[in-house]
Amino acid sequence: MEDPDAPLVARAQRGDRLAFEQLVERHQHRLLTLAARTLGSADEAADAVQEAFIRAWLGLPRFRGGSLFSTWLYRIGLNAAHDQRVRRRTEPLDATREPADPQDSFLTSELSSALQWALNELEEDYRVAVVLYDVLGCSYTEIAELTEVAEGTVKSRIFRGRSRLAELLGTRTAGE
Amino acid sequence: MVAETHPHDIELFEYVENELPQGRREEIAAHLSTCPVCAEQVGLAAAGRQALRGAGILELPEESREEILRNLPARELERAPGERRAFSTKLVFAALAGVLLLAAMIGILVSSNGNGLESSAGGTGAADATAEGGGGEAAQSAQAKLFATGPAAAVAEDLRQKGFDAAVQQDRVVVHGATKQQVREALADRGPGDVEVVVKNP
Repeated sequence: MEDPDAPLVARAQRGDRLAFEQLVERHQHRLLTLAARTLGSADEAADAVQEAFIRAWLGLPRFRGGSLFSTWLYRIGLNAAHDQRVRRRTEPLDATREPADPQDSFLTSELSSALQWALNELEEDYRVAVVLYDVLGCSYTEIAELTEVAEGTVKSRIFRGRSRLAELLGTRTAGE
Repeated sequence: MVAETHPHDIELFEYVENELPQGRREEIAAHLSTCPVCAEQVGLAAAGRQALRGAGILELPEESREEILRNLPARELERAPGERRAFSTKLVFAALAGVLLLAAMIGILVSSNGNGLESSAGGTGAADATAEGGGGEAAQSAQAKLFATGPAAAVAEDLRQKGFDAAVQQDRVVVHGATKQQVREALADRGPGDVEVVVKNP
């Protein structure tokens, strides 16, 4: 498959920061969506995105184009999100940390929606699969490569994730 | 004809996505008309799909983007000439040290039949042969193992600091998109240990 990012990636691999900035422009919102929907926190998602782009920049010289750049980047994003989650579990809450920018009300309200609550309740494998497929529109092949499982497993996870999510939303609505 | 057993999740998913061949689609539809369990699952999956498809793409605030670009560290290609020279001198020494270390490790491996940083698990060394046999191109999609001094989180952090895509998964460190040689060099100063490092090279 032709990678639409290939020309920019080639330039960024040679150290061209402007080319990398364009890659950031292209993927920043989708990477944030992936991190925010899997973590359920605006602060942690922004940190994960920043960390992912820095890791991508440093790792680019070793990127061989064996997958789409976006697939490679999303995997780095998922790893960064995973590390954020581990830190959340192991580090005490930082009282001095500034809350998310109140101007960013759309992000904050999205992450406090019923949908996000239900996503947070899903098993991680299901959550990642439905976010990649239904929210970001990734293909089965990309998701299989990203999550290192067979395409059939991807389909099964999306099916179960969707069903469980609808069940959770139904329970919540019924309880209100 | 109605299937006697429930269709697998994969087929129910393909039914919701309208990806089944016509004949099989009709069979599943017939099953759903007589099986309330599967019909409920399909109904829920369709509702979940609708809820998820309504979730839009979130926007990264402008200031976060600027912070990312401001915080991008220098890569060696970009260093100023003076820095580059100093770095190059260091690099020569590091490379010499690396070569000496590698030679010493090979000596140890040959004399003790595998007690160094390399994996000797599996007895036959099949993982190593898969990863490195046939040269760089043939090594694509291979994976190889190394062992380094831990803890795993510190090894992963160390590798990330050096620009690798590394993460801890079930007490192992998994590195994507790098060669065994690159990871081995990056971990040379840690020495052999009990943390398993899996190198996946797509």
